[in-house]
Amino acid sequence: MQGYYHSIEHFGTVDGQGIRYVLFLSGCQLRCRFCHNPDTWQQNCQTITTEKILKDLLHYRHFYDASNGGITASGGEPLLQSQFLAELFLACQSHNIHTTIDTAGYYDPKHLTTVLPYTNAALFSIKAVDPQKHRWLAGFDNQQILENLNYVAQSIPMTLRYVIIPGLTNSLEDLQALAGLVHTLPALVPIEVLPYHSLGRHKWKTLNMKYTLDDIPDATTQDIATASNILKSEGITIV
Amino acid sequence: MKQAWKEFKPGKWQTSINVRDFIQNNYAPYEGNSDFLAPVTPRTKKLWDKCSLLLSQEREKQGVLDVDPNVVSTITSHQPGYIEKELEIIVGLQTDAPLKRSVIANGGVRMAEQACEAYGYKLNPAISDIYHNHVTTHNTAVFNMYTDEMKKARKLGIITGLPDGYGRGRIIGDYRRIALYGVNHLLEAKRNDLQGLANQPMDEKTLCLREEVSAQIAALNDIILMGNSYGFDISRPAENAQEAVQWLYLGYLASIKEQNGAAMSIGRVSTFLDIYLARDLSNNTLTESAAQELIDQMVIKLRLARHLRTPDYNELFAGDPLWVTEAIGGTGLDGRTLVTRTSYRILHTLYNLGPAPEPNLTILWSVDLPAAFKKFCAKVSLDTSAIQYENDDIMRPVYGDDYAIACCVSAMRVGEQMQLFGARANLAKALLLAINGGRDENSGEQLAPVMPIPTGEYLDYEIVRNNLSKVLSWLTGLYVNTMNLIHFSHDKYAYERAQMALHDTDVKRIMAFGVAGLSVATDSLSAIRYGKVKPLRDETGLAKDFVIDGEFPFYGNDDDQVDTLAIELSQEFSQKLKEHAAYRDAEHTLSILTITSNVMYGKKTGATPDGRKAGQAFAPGANPMHGRDKKGALAAMQSICKLSYDDCRDGISYTFSILPATLGKTAEARIQNLAGILDGYAASQGHHINVNALDRSILEDARKHPEKYPQLTIRVSGYAVNFIKLTPAQQAEVIERTFYESL
Repeated sequence: MQGYYHSIEHFGTVDGQGIRYVLFLSGCQLRCRFCHNPDTWQQNCQTITTEKILKDLLHYRHFYDASNGGITASGGEPLLQSQFLAELFLACQSHNIHTTIDTAGYYDPKHLTTVLPYTNAALFSIKAVDPQKHRWLAGFDNQQILENLNYVAQSIPMTLRYVIIPGLTNSLEDLQALAGLVHTLPALVPIEVLPYHSLGRHKWKTLNMKYTLDDIPDATTQDIATASNILKSEGITIV
Repeated sequence: MKQAWKEFKPGKWQTSINVRDFIQNNYAPYEGNSDFLAPVTPRTKKLWDKCSLLLSQEREKQGVLDVDPNVVSTITSHQPGYIEKELEIIVGLQTDAPLKRSVIANGGVRMAEQACEAYGYKLNPAISDIYHNHVTTHNTAVFNMYTDEMKKARKLGIITGLPDGYGRGRIIGDYRRIALYGVNHLLEAKRNDLQGLANQPMDEKTLCLREEVSAQIAALNDIILMGNSYGFDISRPAENAQEAVQWLYLGYLASIKEQNGAAMSIGRVSTFLDIYLARDLSNNTLTESAAQELIDQMVIKLRLARHLRTPDYNELFAGDPLWVTEAIGGTGLDGRTLVTRTSYRILHTLYNLGPAPEPNLTILWSVDLPAAFKKFCAKVSLDTSAIQYENDDIMRPVYGDDYAIACCVSAMRVGEQMQLFGARANLAKALLLAINGGRDENSGEQLAPVMPIPTGEYLDYEIVRNNLSKVLSWLTGLYVNTMNLIHFSHDKYAYERAQMALHDTDVKRIMAFGVAGLSVATDSLSAIRYGKVKPLRDETGLAKDFVIDGEFPFYGNDDDQVDTLAIELSQEFSQKLKEHAAYRDAEHTLSILTITSNVMYGKKTGATPDGRKAGQAFAPGANPMHGRDKKGALAAMQSICKLSYDDCRDGISYTFSILPATLGKTAEARIQNLAGILDGYAASQGHHINVNALDRSILEDARKHPEKYPQLTIRVSGYAVNFIKLTPAQQAEVIERTFYESL
């Protein structure tokens, strides 16, 4: 089966445990203002088959096996191509390759029921807890996302990812709301705090789109430490 | 022997000289973690502080602190020397003072004279007179024998780095034998061997060996005398851990007092010494702190080992290296790990004393190493960038489980095998000869046999490749003959009597050849085959530059189309070498290793069809050219792993530099992922990997403010250097290398 993809990284070390084969699928419905990969929003004509991915991955598997790594499907929103992803992950699992999704959760839950049976772990990104703020940041509100979040949390081991955007997502209120959300989930979910950076800005220019966060500085180490401490004080595990 | 061998498990090692059997019967594999390690003692800290001061004075004096130009160095030439006697628990220096270099002349007196002059000394005229007029040196003999063709190949740089003016090195004495058996026992065995060489036809082979064994016996007697001068009776075996370390080190010291070989490995000593340390620890005559101190102090001595070199030599092998290579870990033939607590202790010296390039700590990596040890090694790499890794799983089937590494990547069975090393052939230049009708691209001189110059606007792959095969046939023949000549001379005029006394008399010989410029030659062939390459020839027909059109794949991206060209090239070179008989029935081996000479080789080589400009540095060892490995670290590794160790039994060197952050977000993730890379590389049949985990900005700062980075250590091809000791050109080349940072 064919899938739409943007690129492949053979040596991923920041998207899940160990060294990972990171497949960036194309297509996403969210329109996050801070997105550093806006070039993955549209499904262009670049496609790849599950067989080809598997062959390429197996060629490098010594490295993934040795580091307790595996494959991570990122994007874009990988769940939008759930049939393709399910077929790929099933094939990976039959070769004992650990599978992880890196998702933002904005889609019909049926996609999750298709893919999760073949998924070992999830990285789930929440842009904001407050619906208004979410709408402003990502173009849509987060009701569907929160439902999917709940479903993933009860299904497989999950890490919640949250981007610290100075002045936008790191107020005490924002972080307390985030902690509150995590406490409502049906499983213990750690949070990975990611620093906002503007390295993707040039891609917006290339795509002739206006980048609206020009005045926002990159998150500093101090910003990350402060946010982490607040979340920890709320009883959250930080990874 | 009774006291010395008390509590040791008996075995064959008691009735014949067999250190491996002793180790196998007595060592304790260690699968635990590093928690037991002890910090540096105040005494050793004080001693190292004094050394650090001396080292900074050495740097201030152009890299040479002091020279003794009046005495030719031998095992017994100098009075005992100390750094600060009351702080030293392991003693012995090459001369009567630390970092004072001595003169070794039997390899070549001109080199000794030039080296003295370069640092403001004058070799004693009596020494010059003796070695110029009354004694034949290796250097004189070689130049008496060299053919015109050999001299031309040497001058034009198709074969470079021939050990014809100094010691050949790469020979590893089994220094452990002194500790285990004592020198008297070794003497007795050698006397028996000598007697066995009587009552038979006195042919050249027998006579040669009789002379050599006699020289070995004389060396062993001198080693006893040197031991006496430090107050030790090393004629008897070591009775405790301190003596074992001391005895072993004195054996090593004897060898570096008589030989200025380029690479003087110590061997594989840590697991051997562990047996002695463990015995004393279990008898409560030693504490962990004291055990660590013995290893720390041995390492201090190894860090101070020096040879007097000319500045020219430094251009080839930068940073004043001695390749005091210690092989650590590995897996035994019976499947037990050879990692012991002392494997940890010797790595821990990098923390207790801070990072340093020497000794050249080399992990024999096996996928079966204990998980805790793998992680510890990865941590040491991340913290120090000072260690290298070699694949025990592919070396063990060839060399057993008691081999060591000479120089950077050359395996040999300790005490059973020796290596006849020399030089590297420049493959990029060989390709240019194939394009230029056998003429040197710089001088225009006819170097290789005359062959037709490829005609037509664009280079035709088949024609160039056929010509290249002709060049390689000629080159390998010339190379083997040149090496035969050099080693005949070296055996005769600069024989390593001390080191060979610590080998079996019936030693097996390996003749180690090398190539440089593999990635340049490979990419050039790829350009000619898959792209379009137009040579720009001068009026005499020499291709001075190339116009390159079209897309073609580069080596280092896991692309079989081009990687196959590299495999074929190394295979063809290796096979062609074997068509020419080697001196003393040596077995031919080949390395893809450049040391830092990749900069110098590049300087001597004209523009190449891959787009490399004239004079531009080659990539080191088997590395892809800088910036051409666009598919990331793992793809580059896969390309290198395709080169066959069967074709390159002397080693395939890869230097890998990465930003620490690229390995993961947390220290723990970085350790796990680096260990994963090493495991993956080993499982993919990769042979050697240097790991540098540092930020380029640190190197750039060190270039500007060397005084801030006295101990900054980086791995280059097969060894480590103090970054600040590299020449500006070498520093620039290191900084230009690919540092993997894509996420």
